[in-house]
Amino acid sequence: MWAVMLREFRLILRRPALLGLVIVLPVVMLITLTGIFRAGIPTGMAVVVVDLDRSDLSRSITRMLDAAPEITVREQALSLSEARAQIVADQARGAVYLPQGLERDIIRGARPEIVIFYDNQHMSAGSMVARGARGAIDTALAGLRLSIRQGQGEAPVQAMARIQPIPLQAHALFNPAFDYVHFLLSALVPTVLQIIAAAATAYAISLDFGPGRHPQVLARMAGGVLPAMLGKILPYTLLFLLILGLSDIALYGWLAVPLRGSLLLMATGAVLFVLSAQLIGAAAFVLTRDMGRAASIIAVITAPAFGFMGLGFPREAMSQLAQAWGAVIPGTWYVQLRIDQSLRDTPLDISVWSVVWLACIAFALGALVLLRLVRLRGEIEAMK
Amino acid sequence: MSDILFALRAELRGIFADRQVRLIILAALVIYALVYPYPYRAELLRDVPVVLVDLDRSTSSAELARRVNASEAVALSHDAPDMIAAIRLVQERRAYGVLVIPEGFERGLLRGSQSPVALYADASYFLMYQRVMQGAAVPLRQMGAEVEMGRLISQGTAPDVALSQVSPAVQVEVPLFNPAAGYATYVLPAAFVLILQQTMLMGLALVATRRGRGRGHPVWRILGRMVAWVALYALLLPVYLIVLPAFYGLPHLGNVTALLMLGLPFVLATGLLAQCLAAVFRRGEVVQVVLLALGLPFFFLSGFAWPVEAIPAHLNALAQIIPSTPAIDGIVRVSQMGATLPEIAHRLWHLWALVGVFAAVALWLEQSAGRAGHEAEEDAVPANRPR
Repeated sequence: MWAVMLREFRLILRRPALLGLVIVLPVVMLITLTGIFRAGIPTGMAVVVVDLDRSDLSRSITRMLDAAPEITVREQALSLSEARAQIVADQARGAVYLPQGLERDIIRGARPEIVIFYDNQHMSAGSMVARGARGAIDTALAGLRLSIRQGQGEAPVQAMARIQPIPLQAHALFNPAFDYVHFLLSALVPTVLQIIAAAATAYAISLDFGPGRHPQVLARMAGGVLPAMLGKILPYTLLFLLILGLSDIALYGWLAVPLRGSLLLMATGAVLFVLSAQLIGAAAFVLTRDMGRAASIIAVITAPAFGFMGLGFPREAMSQLAQAWGAVIPGTWYVQLRIDQSLRDTPLDISVWSVVWLACIAFALGALVLLRLVRLRGEIEAMK
Repeated sequence: MSDILFALRAELRGIFADRQVRLIILAALVIYALVYPYPYRAELLRDVPVVLVDLDRSTSSAELARRVNASEAVALSHDAPDMIAAIRLVQERRAYGVLVIPEGFERGLLRGSQSPVALYADASYFLMYQRVMQGAAVPLRQMGAEVEMGRLISQGTAPDVALSQVSPAVQVEVPLFNPAAGYATYVLPAAFVLILQQTMLMGLALVATRRGRGRGHPVWRILGRMVAWVALYALLLPVYLIVLPAFYGLPHLGNVTALLMLGLPFVLATGLLAQCLAAVFRRGEVVQVVLLALGLPFFFLSGFAWPVEAIPAHLNALAQIIPSTPAIDGIVRVSQMGATLPEIAHRLWHLWALVGVFAAVALWLEQSAGRAGHEAEEDAVPANRPR
């Protein structure tokens, strides 16, 4: 087995295709993903103001809007249809409508309507724009209410307390800085690695076990088909763990994503995750014995896996079948483990279940590969 | 002309005679179209479970809890005696937020001072966090306004004056497009474009790596292939962009002509890019693995799910080389937002520019491959054998 492993390392260094898939591709992917999310929460998204009032109040609301970090008031539109056209044509993400007579109606107590329009097709950006605009208008109106009360002779502090009898103290649990970005990144890394580990393992195996190749040479070298297969797989386990480790050093060290839980549990999970991902590739290949078909199987399992992990749309809200499908993908559990042990500081007795599931998946996939190899053994050993 | 026809026939044969290519281009359509949207079928998050920690145990605190529970977004599913027990429930993922009503809540309200309430929302899931905040903030604000009004009225202010003092203007929020905030409606139209691009790149690059030497001038050869792609995708593109969205019940505002006008340069640019990728990576298996890994980064680079405003400028510039970047934006704007051709003209020009650039590169590669000719093929064959 050691001989096969050594041979595999030499093979990786000699073959540009293998080297590219196992080292260059994951590293490029990680750098790209880090680049996309490094800047953090988006700021300065364009909003148009349809100001039909052109009063002191409407101008002060506009200034408040512009001061919100999420948005920048790009320009004024003369009508709602013009504002809508700008949103459709990608010149703005939202619009705020300030009706004619706004200031006058507010003073008269006629409660005019202020309308926020936002592009909800681009939901992530749209909801941020809406939140920013809502906050800015709230602030502007609160200022107005304060000045009315102060005009009636209330002290500023007292007036402040009076306009908000039930203040809401909102806390972002587990993630006080609301650093959603690095959190997303720490989940995307395993997703991409899962694809690459499965596919690269299948490819490496195909180089020796594929049609027209000579697996019997390898089997003789290792002293059996099984050690030969292990010798093929394990070098990549080491390499992928190394890459995962390096990216984690970048993530938890350089980008300072909090790491609050048990390192041992994280490491155990990482080993089981990489092995399971590789075994998906190995199983796909030994079952089909054709790299093309194996790649298709790997694609179906690993490419849509991100959606089933529930980072965007949560797993709990999915149908039972979708939850079950997510549960058999190793990445789902590994990502959950990472989130639990890095951000949420989940107690071990809860978090250990992710590792147990990972172990079950690895075991089941291993058994599948083994069974198939036992059946192939006779065939391979008969080859001359 | 006969060279073009020859290349066209060769390309179609390459696609349909090769089992693997057939699998990628046709079977993947079925599989991806069914598997990928599956997690999002539920569309909306309703009644996200939240733990209630009521330390006041008064009529007012019960009223507040009732109002929060009545909101569509959240449900107060668990009661906990303290924060420690509540956090445990969140860590077990049985709840996604904690509403704490402190002791003295009712007393504060009766005295006329402030009665703060604390809300802890699980911020490790963005969507959950938003829903929990939304679900609790609206009823809280409403109850606060009622309390303030009640106090003003008791001080002798007329009810309508009190109302306008508590809330001088009515704030209305109108979501344009995807008004129900459905997750599938949000993500699928873009995802279908990306799936189309990735399967097309994989399939056509595979055909390119397995192609024998062509006939005639490279220009005719590439032109012939382009006709073949257009013929095939004239059938497949509408399936992805019209039939599938309709199957999933997504709203469709756009006009078909604009969609097809965008689809044509998108198909051509993607096909030509596949030729370039095939020339760079040379081996079918490698191209496939690379494209598989690139899917997710391509999606986030397109500026759809993750706003362009947050993507660093140099990466965004790089992303413009990928056909899916202008195609996702253009097609989503046409089909979901009802954009007209002039409104997405810049995307159309962008795609045609990509067609021009990739065609030039593909032509150059084809020519140099033709010149290197025999030697290159000799070289490539032994590389496939084990050493």
